[in-house]
Amino acid sequence: MRLSFPYMGPTIVYKKLFELLGHDVVMPPKPNKEIIDLGVKYSPEFACFPFKVITGIYLKLMNKDLDALVTSGGHGPCRAGYYGEVHKKILEDLGHDVEIIVIDSPHDDYKYFYDVIKKLKGDSSWIKVAQVIKTVYELTRAMDEVEKQVETLRAYNDNGTINKLWMKAQEEFYQIKNTSDIKRIEDKYINKLNKFENFIPSEDERYRIGIIGEIYVVLEESINNQIEEKVNRFGFEVERSQYLTDWIRENAFPFTGKDLEEIEKKGEEFIKIEIGGHAQSNLGHAVDFKEKGFDGIIHLKPFGCLPELVSQSVMDDFSEKYEIPVLTISIDEQTADANVLTRVEAFLDMIKEKDLREVM
Amino acid sequence: MRKRKIGIPRALLYYYYFPFWLKLFSELNLEPVISDNTSRRLLDKGVKKSLSEICVPIKVMIGHVLNLNQKDVDYIFLPRFRSLRKDVVLCPKFLGLPDMVRHSLPGLKTEIIADQIESQSDDISQYSNHQKLAEVLEISKKKIIIALKKASDFWQRYRELLFEGYLIDDFAEIEDLEVLEKVITKFENDSKPPQSRDQDIEAPANEEVVDIAVIGYFYNVFDQYLNMDIINKLKEMGVRVHTFSMVPEEIIEEELEQLRKPMFWEFTNKLYGAAEHYFKNDQIDGVIHLTAFGCGPDSMLGQILEVDAKDYKNAFMTLRIDEQTGESHIITRIEAFIDLLRLKKENN
Repeated sequence: MRLSFPYMGPTIVYKKLFELLGHDVVMPPKPNKEIIDLGVKYSPEFACFPFKVITGIYLKLMNKDLDALVTSGGHGPCRAGYYGEVHKKILEDLGHDVEIIVIDSPHDDYKYFYDVIKKLKGDSSWIKVAQVIKTVYELTRAMDEVEKQVETLRAYNDNGTINKLWMKAQEEFYQIKNTSDIKRIEDKYINKLNKFENFIPSEDERYRIGIIGEIYVVLEESINNQIEEKVNRFGFEVERSQYLTDWIRENAFPFTGKDLEEIEKKGEEFIKIEIGGHAQSNLGHAVDFKEKGFDGIIHLKPFGCLPELVSQSVMDDFSEKYEIPVLTISIDEQTADANVLTRVEAFLDMIKEKDLREVM
Repeated sequence: MRKRKIGIPRALLYYYYFPFWLKLFSELNLEPVISDNTSRRLLDKGVKKSLSEICVPIKVMIGHVLNLNQKDVDYIFLPRFRSLRKDVVLCPKFLGLPDMVRHSLPGLKTEIIADQIESQSDDISQYSNHQKLAEVLEISKKKIIIALKKASDFWQRYRELLFEGYLIDDFAEIEDLEVLEKVITKFENDSKPPQSRDQDIEAPANEEVVDIAVIGYFYNVFDQYLNMDIINKLKEMGVRVHTFSMVPEEIIEEELEQLRKPMFWEFTNKLYGAAEHYFKNDQIDGVIHLTAFGCGPDSMLGQILEVDAKDYKNAFMTLRIDEQTGESHIITRIEAFIDLLRLKKENN
């Protein structure tokens, strides 16, 4: 099948997955102004921002002669789980004939799930499928490991140098054939990066920022105005609450996300039940970041995001109680780079200032 | 002993469940206190204390909670509606409502009773949905179960009338249980049909009467301040008003079969079913989707309805309300819509 998918985070992982299964994969375009404008034009006004971006990506892909678009579903109550259905309506209405394959949880509709998997599996045997999934998971994990290192080192080194290494690493990861390739590339780049570790200052001079929020805007740097790089540039290390590895662990492999569950449980103090999206777990991660000694938290969310509005509502109380500053940034088609930069800069200045006063 | 006062905010699902709660609390020997009607002042306070980008109905709710806080009540009754059907929940903001109220209103001194409601149907009278209430008020399980049964029966009578074609507007002003009981009994024995079924109503200036289905959540359609009294405005212009609460559950179920997977939100599904039903109903001339600023589920529903409406001859319009809606804008829009429907009728 000739297929494509929405652009989010390390897209080569999805590409690899479908390629290894024997499909003809078209790389989706990276979101930019043109795509966002296109998406905004054809999406409902109050749809959340990721929806609009994905609409734009799909429309941009329409001249690529695709058989199908593959996307993830869900059982809500976050709207993201229903994107696929509404996108179908929009594309149909605009006269595009393309199938949208939504990968839902098998709990919701077993037969549909089975059909979807059979379609995606193509001619590969089940053993092959298992191997592919393992390879892709390994790839994701390795890339996340390297990226975590990048997010720390960029704070104390020239952004350009580290970014170049990171880009090269991505290119090499892109060529992998099997798990041993992955290990080799991971080791190679971790070694290369480790040379920069000398610049890391002593513990009491390190500043760390945790980034929490809605998964799409947290993972997709072309949407969140490269916020991690911005924070790094001011000499702050960054860690996200979410990496794709975690998502896969939680959603695809049962019983492997025990440690994550424990972190998420910490969010119950503020949001008692699971309310969809990552609202509750975000609060859990926020508490966890504080416990790990982080200096501040940046909370990213798309404008009007249902679950994140609830978490934003309780954020002030959290910040006061745990004595950690929180900056919430709503992201949508109107968000300007300079605006984000100014707010981040002011926020980080404040953290340093506060720290200095405490010392004196 | 003085009766303990329990405050009920006049917002969100109040419009659907208030007969249930009034009856329940009176059976439990409590004094229910309902917050004032939504007003500019009340809404402004809610807006001030909530996030700017949150939907209007939640801002209204916050306003009502603050209003109750000033009313010297002992408790505020704010259940966490999670689910009214297996595997279908409500909007995330309903699920997180008590958390939002607890953590974003530091000035709130009144104790909040936030039972989690998880039911298999719209009937929420199970004991498990009222455990906290029993605990906080120290009422025995036996007593509360008896009261719940009575409240449920009473609410069923109210709901039956809604199915028959009465609007919530016909009851919503009533705060006194006895009056409400009288009105319900009166309607049950009334030979005159409700407005939505009445064939004898007349439009001003001998215009033709039109039938419009107003598709929207209870708290948008029946909060007369928030929607600028749209129901009565429509009535004055010679419109028979239909709402989703008049559509039998079986029909909604049937329409929902069209979706590969239903949406995740209980009332959004109901609106979808009702809208699809009204689209192809010959007695209906037009459908208005009444939605509030920032409503997430409606952004999905609205898109689906907009596309689907193209396949039917019944006209469709989306009307959005927010905290600063000007009255003239609503009037202009609905007048134009009604004119269009009349023109269409004449041409046929």
